[in-house]
Amino acid sequence: MIKDSIRHFIATELAVGGANTAITDSDQLLEQGIIDSFGIMTLLSFLEEKFSVHIEGDDLTPENFSSISTISALIDRKAGLSAGA
Amino acid sequence: MNFALNEEQTEIRDSIIRFARQELSVSADEANGFPHAAWRKCAEMQLMALPFPEEYGGCGADFLTTVVATQAFGYACKDAGLVHAVCTQILCGMQINSFGSEELKHRYLPSLVRGEKIFAQAITEAGSGSDALGMRTRAELAEGGYLLNGTKIFITNGPVADVVLVFAVTNPEVSRISGISCLVVEKGMSGFTQCAPMAKMGLDTLQNGELVFADCPVPAENLVGSAGQGAILFNESMEWERCLLPAAHLGTLERIFETSVAYAKGRSAFGQPISKFQAVSSKIVEMKMALELGRLMLYKVATTKDQHKRAALEASIVKLYISEALKKTCLDAVQIHGGYGYMKEYEVERDLRDSIAATIYSGTSEMQQNIISRFIGL
Repeated sequence: MIKDSIRHFIATELAVGGANTAITDSDQLLEQGIIDSFGIMTLLSFLEEKFSVHIEGDDLTPENFSSISTISALIDRKAGLSAGA
Repeated sequence: MNFALNEEQTEIRDSIIRFARQELSVSADEANGFPHAAWRKCAEMQLMALPFPEEYGGCGADFLTTVVATQAFGYACKDAGLVHAVCTQILCGMQINSFGSEELKHRYLPSLVRGEKIFAQAITEAGSGSDALGMRTRAELAEGGYLLNGTKIFITNGPVADVVLVFAVTNPEVSRISGISCLVVEKGMSGFTQCAPMAKMGLDTLQNGELVFADCPVPAENLVGSAGQGAILFNESMEWERCLLPAAHLGTLERIFETSVAYAKGRSAFGQPISKFQAVSSKIVEMKMALELGRLMLYKVATTKDQHKRAALEASIVKLYISEALKKTCLDAVQIHGGYGYMKEYEVERDLRDSIAATIYSGTSEMQQNIISRFIGL
C-alpha cells in the first residue's frame, strides 16, 4: 500500500522526462536519474504529509531514498516510531 | 492562527532596533573592509546566538523569533553587507547544529555564537552557480580523511573566514544527489588559500572571494553528516536560508517604505506635497502591499519550520517575492526622491545597489520560479 502510493507519486509527479508507471520496487531512483535534486524536495514534502511522519537529520541520506523499497522501509520505521511515541 | 508577535518577540525586535540605531550608525560607505568592530558588537548583542541551544552558548530562540530579530536587524542596520555576514554565520551554525556530530557541535558552535570565529559556506564554483550540484571540487578519500582539491568562487565571508563548510564531490561514480559531502575546513590548514575580496556593485562591507583547495587534507571527523549527504543537507539549508535572508530584506524594505513616505509628504511641488500625486502615491502603496504580504508569507514559513515541517515551496515563494519586491521598492524610492535619490547623501541609491544581489544569491529568481513550477507539477 505504502509502496504503491510512493510509486504513483514518483511516476506521475517526479519522474524526470515524464510519467513513468513502470518503476519497480528495486529500481535505483537516484542512480538511474528517475528523481533529481528538485524531486527529492518534492518527495519529502509528499511523504511527510501523506504518512504523517517527520524526516530529518540522520534519516536524510541518499540510501534511504535510493529505491521505493528503501523509502517504504523508512516510512515503516518512522511511522512505527510515531505510533510508539 | 495568530498574527501577533508575543511579548518576548516584540521586546527582542525593539531592542535590536535600538541597538542597531545606536551602535551601528556608521555609514557603510565609510568602510570598505569587513566591519570587525560592528561584528563584535553584533556578537555581544547575541544576534548570532539566537537559534542555537543554550548548551552551546545559544539563546534557544525558535526560528520565528530569529526571523523577527533578523527583520529588525535589516530594518535598523543600514549596512546590508554586515547584515548578510551575520545571517551567513547563523546559517552555517544551523547546518552544524542539525547535521554535525556532537564533537563538531561542541568544537564550533560556542565560537560561532560568540562571533569569535567567522564562518562561511562554500558551494558555488565558476562553472556551477544555479546548477550547484554540478560542482567539480573533489574530496578524495585519503589516510585519516579526505584530500580536497578545487576552487570555490563568490564565497560570502570567504576572505575573512576562520571556518568554512565546503561542499565537494566525494564519489563521482554515483549520482550528484548521492556523491556530494560537506566538510569543515579551517583557516591555516595546508593547501587552503583565501583570496582577496572581489569588488562588487553593492554590499560593500560584505567580503566575497575565491577559496582555493590544493591537496588540502581534511580529517574524517570534519565531515558534516555522513558521506554523500551533502546534496540533501544543501537542500535542507536552503529552506532556512530562503527564509532568513528575506527576513533581512523585508526589514530593509520597511525602512525604505518609511523613508519614501516621509520624503513624499515633506517634499512639495506645484503647491502641494508630492505624496498627493497619484503617480507617487501608487508607488508607495505598492511598497506597503509588498511589506504586508511579504510579512505574512515570511512568518508562515518560519512558523512551519518551528513545527518541524517542510517548507521548501513556501521558502522559494518568500525568497522570490521579497527579493523582487525589495529591488522594485528601492528603484521606486530612488525615483520618488528624484535627483536627490541619485545622490549618495540620501542613501537610497546604496539600498538599490545592495538589493540587486538579493535576486541572485541563494538561488536566482529564475531558479525560484523553476522550483515553484516543479512543486506545482508543471
